[in-house]
Amino acid sequence: MKKILIIEDDLFLQGLEASKLTKSGYEIITAKDGTEAMEKIQEPGIDLVLLDLILPDFNGFEIMKKIRETESVKNIPILVFSNLSEEKDVEQAKALGSVDFMVKSNFTLDELVMHIETALKK
Amino acid sequence: MHDDIEKLKEENTRLQKIIVVKSDLISITAHQLRTSLSAVKWILKMFADKDFGDINDEQKEYINKALTSSERMIAVVSNLLALNHADEPVVILEPEEVDIKMLIEDTVVEFYGETHKKNIVIEFQEPTCDIPAIQCDKDMIRVVLESIIENAIKYSNPKDKILITLKTNTENNTIIICIHDNGIGIKEEDKKHIFSKFFRAENAKKEGVTGSGLGLFITQNILQQHGGSISFESTENNGTTFFVTLPIS
Repeated sequence: MKKILIIEDDLFLQGLEASKLTKSGYEIITAKDGTEAMEKIQEPGIDLVLLDLILPDFNGFEIMKKIRETESVKNIPILVFSNLSEEKDVEQAKALGSVDFMVKSNFTLDELVMHIETALKK
Repeated sequence: MHDDIEKLKEENTRLQKIIVVKSDLISITAHQLRTSLSAVKWILKMFADKDFGDINDEQKEYINKALTSSERMIAVVSNLLALNHADEPVVILEPEEVDIKMLIEDTVVEFYGETHKKNIVIEFQEPTCDIPAIQCDKDMIRVVLESIIENAIKYSNPKDKILITLKTNTENNTIIICIHDNGIGIKEEDKKHIFSKFFRAENAKKEGVTGSGLGLFITQNILQQHGGSISFESTENNGTTFFVTLPIS
């Protein structure tokens, strides 16, 4: 079973994402901020990170940089899932190696599952 | 002369800072709105997909209407963000054939609660000729109508009437929607700024009514993107009439 780390500070959205992905057959761990994210990312067997960009302590871009600088986890694919949508945000995420950038309000949770499946096949 | 130029430069710098602050506030607000709208959209879709159990046809119909409504709001927020950030404001349109008479009727119904509270009547006069369907982005034109009607209500007095008419202009192949109120009107010196971003007239602010100063800016941009236009006639304390023009073909 593939394992996904959801980094999302809105606990309601986090719960909805976790519920959907669990029902879709994934093992889910969650983090509500950057500090918790950098602890949980060390858990073995994480196949993908689902990352929000606006977080209470670090922003998503800082977390991406930290992940890319950590030898043990630097190759874990990161799918950015945010309500930021400006070109500069998409470009910055791409430059930091995100495999996909989805604007939450533009997609349903079924579509999120499809994008995750695609990301995991890469 | 030199002092006047320096004062103008300082005032310009101050106004630029205000625009940046307001723009940032809009971005933050839009992000918060999108967060809530994401949750609404996802849950409605889960209901529609029977993730929480079976639903009957009537429930499905209402859930789908709510889903459409939430997606419409998401599109409005996205366009607001696009207008807020772009140097040359661009609205993303999805044109379809629209019965504009029906759209006006539906939009007027939305304001029943507000008009009832303020004891204001909105009268939509039956057109005297057939109005052809037009190609337009229905949600964006609804935003235009809502913006103008909302202003008309805000700046009208209790027991006032707001009159809406719809007609065609066969000479230049357009439809014209007129929305007339008997409210506070627009001062002569404010008229040239009325479609500017963040502009709010002094007499509007004195009414104590809140506003972002973006409604007419967005409205004008939506209409221009459609190849249409907006103009107005107004006298202070004697009401305002907005004229919305849209091409028929």
